[in-house]
Amino acid sequence: MTLLLDIQNLSICFDTDEGTVRATQNISFQIRKGETLALVGESGCGKSVTALSILRLLQEPPARYDSGSIIFEGRDILHLHESELQDIRGDQIGMIFQEPMTSLNPIFTIGDQIAEPLRRHKNLNTDQARKETLKLLQQVSIPAPEQRIDQYPHEISGGMKQRVGIAMAIACKPRLIIADEPTTALDVTIQAQIMQLLQDLKNEMGASLLLITHNLGIVAQHADRVAVMYAGKIVETAEVLELYDHPSHPYTKGLLNSLPKGKPGESLEPIMGTVPHPAFLPSGCAFHPRCPEVMTQCKTSMPPSFELNFGGKHQADCWLFDR
Amino acid sequence: MISSTVKTGDETPLLKIRSVQKVFPSQKGILASKGAGVIAVNDVSLDIYKGETLGLVGESGCGKTTLGRLTLRLLEATAGQIYFDGEDIFQLQAKALERLRPRMQIIFQDPYSSLNPRFTVEQIIGEALLIHKLADKRNLGSKVRELLDQVGLPAEYAKRFPHEFSGGQRQRIGIARALGLKPEYIVCDEPVSALDVSIQAQILNLLKSLQEKNQLTLLFISHDLNVVNHLSHRTAIMYLGQIVEIGPTHQLSLKGAHPYTQLLLSAKPSINPREKTKALPNIGEAPSPLSPPAGCSFHPRCPEAMERCRRESPALLEVEPHHLVRCHLYD
Repeated sequence: MTLLLDIQNLSICFDTDEGTVRATQNISFQIRKGETLALVGESGCGKSVTALSILRLLQEPPARYDSGSIIFEGRDILHLHESELQDIRGDQIGMIFQEPMTSLNPIFTIGDQIAEPLRRHKNLNTDQARKETLKLLQQVSIPAPEQRIDQYPHEISGGMKQRVGIAMAIACKPRLIIADEPTTALDVTIQAQIMQLLQDLKNEMGASLLLITHNLGIVAQHADRVAVMYAGKIVETAEVLELYDHPSHPYTKGLLNSLPKGKPGESLEPIMGTVPHPAFLPSGCAFHPRCPEVMTQCKTSMPPSFELNFGGKHQADCWLFDR
Repeated sequence: MISSTVKTGDETPLLKIRSVQKVFPSQKGILASKGAGVIAVNDVSLDIYKGETLGLVGESGCGKTTLGRLTLRLLEATAGQIYFDGEDIFQLQAKALERLRPRMQIIFQDPYSSLNPRFTVEQIIGEALLIHKLADKRNLGSKVRELLDQVGLPAEYAKRFPHEFSGGQRQRIGIARALGLKPEYIVCDEPVSALDVSIQAQILNLLKSLQEKNQLTLLFISHDLNVVNHLSHRTAIMYLGQIVEIGPTHQLSLKGAHPYTQLLLSAKPSINPREKTKALPNIGEAPSPLSPPAGCSFHPRCPEAMERCRRESPALLEVEPHHLVRCHLYD
């Protein structure tokens, strides 16, 4: 499969009053055409920063791109001008945000908001954009679109708002959809329906999906490949079956072991300690203070990526695999 | 280790909830004075036995938090009674209620907004101890350190402020505060839903071991069936203010009887990538509690709805010993 997005050695810093915070360190990953890559990690690990950087949505300053490249269809996003970025945003790359309650503009009707990218990128006039918007509302299974189109965000439910968010993101048939925790704020029955919808639309359009989540169930159900992030680094990458069959980095193993599987009486093995603050990362491997398999060298030197031999491409940044 | 065996009927209930109803009057318009409003809890009756963990599951707006707060009389009921150890808590005068308060406590959902930012940890945990005279100025420090130790926090944290802690640590402080008064009954209102996965497991293990060690009675409120299955002896499923199913957790988690329970079970994504979750029928969203549907309130989303469900509201009936379901399929 051909590459759609190729991120190499991306380091993003934030210059704050309390010093420089390294949000991501030398992260590299690729998204192929038509695939779903899940970026998994806990709060503060840098997954949302990574997502926002692909559209250059981080405010610069305080954000600063220290090193690396974000190649989307042959062009480095980091070297584009604002006007070129605007041509990409919402047209070739669509974004779905975490909180449908706050990501819609409360003073515009949902019809206006969905029509905006259509008018900007496809040069549709008001009538054409309205027709297209009605079609999109149908596509995302919003009942009675002719009435909904003129309603304001406060008049519809959370699940419905997220459907509107999806309609906005797919309006121009983007090649890449970035979904940042698209269902975290929603109830479980709504969550299942929204993920199903997202998956169907992605397949229909042949788009790629970058799915950012902390929910390992959603990853198992919807991802083709997975990248696990911890404290600003990608610590493990593998195909989804491979990752769940052979979780290798101690952090990935810990995440999977700490999940209740729903069997009464089972015991959970939590990861000890807490996620470090990005401004005060531990030396060496950032996971070493919490790692059950920590060795001396982990405390002083940061591990590179090692290829694992389970068959299939599988990498882990851990000294355990240094042979 | 909690045994997952069924609590049998001959055990004594610590809490008896009888036909409890809570209506929040709608604030707007001329109807406000005429009793129209949201029926948040609608005719709920159930027992919570001594030493058990009862899981209460439902989606947002189903009334589970309201029911939890009613059992502590943090809210007044519109109708019905709740007996705590034989006493009707809604009949108690202020003095008697104050005497009861230390026996019932709550752990809140959001560890960021439930701790006073201007209090030190010692003040947060110690406030109730001083009020209920379980400590005095002299031994407060040692009592607080003891409690911190119970929830796995180092003693030197006593002098720090909430903003210095992570979510998981704050939740431990909230738990220490609830434990301080040696309560028999604790309402845990979504205590882990604001926490990261790796921290969730720590807090769940802590709650489980504290429950066993102190023989606590817990009402564990959550929207996450996996979490509830992990902790509870019995589980109650709530939909639009009503209990639609209640029974031993191991029965409910294997095969829920109510179509809504089955929907919840099939909607949760399996963490085994080989076990693909079935595509859900497009069942829409829960109706607004302001205008609940006639008949069975679940019928508009129910894949097995019959003519009768549109007209008649089903009763909560026993389908197996200790396993009750509110659905016309079973009568």
